[in-house]
Amino acid sequence: MTKKPNDIYIPKPSPHDPDELGHFGIFGGRYVPETLMTALEQLNKDYQSVRFDPRFWKEVDYYYKNYVGRPSPLYFAQNISKELGAKVYLKREDLNHTGAHKINHTIAQALLAKRLGKKKIIAETGAGQHGVATATVAALFNLECEIFMGEKDVARQELNVFRMKLLGAKVHPVTSGSRTLKDAMNDAIRHWVTHARDTYYIIGTVAGPHPYPMMIRDIQSIIGWEAKAQILEVEQRLPDKVIACIGGGSNAIGIFNHFLEDKEVECIGIEAGGLGIDTDKHGASLEKGSPGVLHGQMSYLLQDEDGQILEAHSISAGLDYPGIGPEHAYLKEQGIAKYDNITDAEALDAFVWLSQSEGIIPAFESSHAVAYLKKIDKSSIKGKLIIVNISGRGDKDMMQAKDILKDQFKD
Amino acid sequence: MKNLVAYITTGFPSLEFTVDAAHTLHEAGVDSLELGVPFSDPVADGPIIEHANLLSLQNGFKIDQLFSISKQIAPVIDTLWMGYFNSFYHKGFDTFVAEAKRSGLSGFIIPDLPYEEAVPYQKQMRNAGMTLIDFIAPTDTPERIAMIAKNAKKFIYLVAYAGITGSGKAESLDDIISGIRTHTDTPIYVGFGVDENTAKDKVKGVDGVIVGSALVKVLLDTHLSHKEKLNKIGSLAREIKEKINE
Repeated sequence: MTKKPNDIYIPKPSPHDPDELGHFGIFGGRYVPETLMTALEQLNKDYQSVRFDPRFWKEVDYYYKNYVGRPSPLYFAQNISKELGAKVYLKREDLNHTGAHKINHTIAQALLAKRLGKKKIIAETGAGQHGVATATVAALFNLECEIFMGEKDVARQELNVFRMKLLGAKVHPVTSGSRTLKDAMNDAIRHWVTHARDTYYIIGTVAGPHPYPMMIRDIQSIIGWEAKAQILEVEQRLPDKVIACIGGGSNAIGIFNHFLEDKEVECIGIEAGGLGIDTDKHGASLEKGSPGVLHGQMSYLLQDEDGQILEAHSISAGLDYPGIGPEHAYLKEQGIAKYDNITDAEALDAFVWLSQSEGIIPAFESSHAVAYLKKIDKSSIKGKLIIVNISGRGDKDMMQAKDILKDQFKD
Repeated sequence: MKNLVAYITTGFPSLEFTVDAAHTLHEAGVDSLELGVPFSDPVADGPIIEHANLLSLQNGFKIDQLFSISKQIAPVIDTLWMGYFNSFYHKGFDTFVAEAKRSGLSGFIIPDLPYEEAVPYQKQMRNAGMTLIDFIAPTDTPERIAMIAKNAKKFIYLVAYAGITGSGKAESLDDIISGIRTHTDTPIYVGFGVDENTAKDKVKGVDGVIVGSALVKVLLDTHLSHKEKLNKIGSLAREIKEKINE
C-alpha cells in the first residue's frame, strides 16, 4: 500500500547534534567513573568513523532488509481515522523481528562491537524487550551475551527471561535498590567499568554517556526517514502531527528526527502518566522532574529535594524509568518538540480500542501514543494528517493484560 | 610518612556514630577523612558501600544533616565530602561550596564527574580555597594522564584496578605511576580494594592509600555494638597506617 524506500539509510548530521563532549545545551555529557572515559572516547572515535560511511550502513541495511523485515509499513488506519475524522497512519515497528524498534539499534551496535573487536556484549533491560533484542543479535553474530535485569522484573517477565536464555544469553537478576530497570542499568555500568576492555555495552535507549544518545538517535532515525518517504509517496505532503511514546525516548527520537527540520510538523512525545501526574506514581520525568545526573548523563529526572532518585511507575515496563534521553530534555526546553502524558487507564483503553478497531494489538508502551489521539481535542485534529509510531506489539503484555482486563472479557 | 585516607558513609549506622568515628579515626592516625554523601544510585561503588548508602537513606539521612555534622568533624580531622554529582548539582554546587567553606572542609571527591565535566567546578573550588580531587584510572591513555595530572592538586586518586570499590582485583600500576610523576609532584594515593592485607603492597611507589569498603564492612556488622565498631575501625586504621609505613 505504501512505497518501500529502496535506498540505504545513512544518518546525516542533525542541527541538534551535541557538541564534541556530547552536550545538547546543558544536557547530555559524560558523567561516568574515570575508568570508563577511555572506552567512551574510543567508542566515540569509532562511531564517528562509521557514522557516514556507506559501507558500514550497507552491512546494517542487509540485516534490516533480510533479517528484521525493514522497511516497516506505514499503514493507513482506516477505521480509527473514520471515527476521529482525521487521517491516521501507523508506523508499524511492531512488525519488526522480535516485535519492536529495539532490534534496529541492537543490529547496528552489534556490528559496531564486532568492528571494535569485542567478543562480549552486555545490556540492561526492564520488560525484557531490549534484552531479547540484544540476545538475538548475540546469537546472530556469535557474541557472548549477559543481560542485567532487576529481580522484580525477572519475576514479572518470566517469559522474556526464558526467551533470552533460549537465545543463549546469561540473565543476571539485580538485587540492589528498587530491583527494577534503574538498578539493572546501575549494575550493567558496574560490570562495564570492570570489563570495558573486552566488553561492549549495548544501552537500550537514547540515554547514557556520550556518544550513546547521539549514536542511538542516528540509528533509530531510520524510522522517521522511512516514514517521511512513505507519507510523501501516498499523501504528497508532510504530516501535521507525529506522535510517539517516551520512556528513555528512542522510538520517539527515531521517528521525530527527520521531521524536526519541518516547521509545519508537530512532534509530540507521550510520557507515562501512571496513576496521574499529581500522584507520586508516574514516569513523567519531563513534566514533573528536574535537571540532574543519572546513568552518565545530565537530563530531567524524577528526584526528591536532596537529589535522591525516585522510583517511576507505569503500567508499561518500558516507560517505567525515572529519567529520559538528554536530547528530549533539550528539545523540550527549546520548544522544538511538544510533550504530554497519558495515564495507565487511558493507555489500557487505547490498547483495547486499537485491537478491536484495526486488529492491531499494540504494546502497552505504544498504547500511550495511540491514547493521545483520544486525549486531544477532536476539533483540533479534524481533517489532519497524523502519524503514530507503533513502537512494539502487545504479545509481551498478554499475561498482564489478561489479568487486568479479566472482568471486561469474561464470558 | 605515607598517608592514610579513610572513607565512611555519613549517617550510618547513625549520625552520632559518624562523629565518633571521625574522632576515633583521627586518633588512630588517619590523615584525611572522606565523608560519604549517601546517594540512591552509587554506580562506582561495590555492594558493601552501596548497601551502607541505602541503609543510611532508609534511616532518613538528609543533606542538611551532612552540613550540620561536618561542622563538628572538620575541626577534628582534614575532611572531604565524597559523593555523586547529582547530590551536589541538585542542591546547588554553590550551596555545597559555601557550606563546605563554612565548616572548614578541604575538598570534594566526586567519582562520576570526570575531568572534562569538572572544569567549571574545579575553578570554583580553587577560588574558594578547596580542591576537587582528580581521578586517574589504569585504563587511561598517556595523553589523558598528562592532561589530568598537570592540574591536579592536594592528591591524585589513583584507581587501583578497572572495577568498582571493594573488590579484590589487582593490576600493575608501575607504568601509570611513573607516567604521573613526569607531570606533577602532587601526591598519589591509591584507592579501591585496599584493606589490612593489601595495604602494604598497594602503597608501593605511591604516597598514600584510601580505605573504604574494609571499614564500612565493620559498620555493617550487626553483631557489633556502637563501641565495638569504633574500636574495630580504630584498630584496623592503626594497623593499615603501620603497614603502609613499614
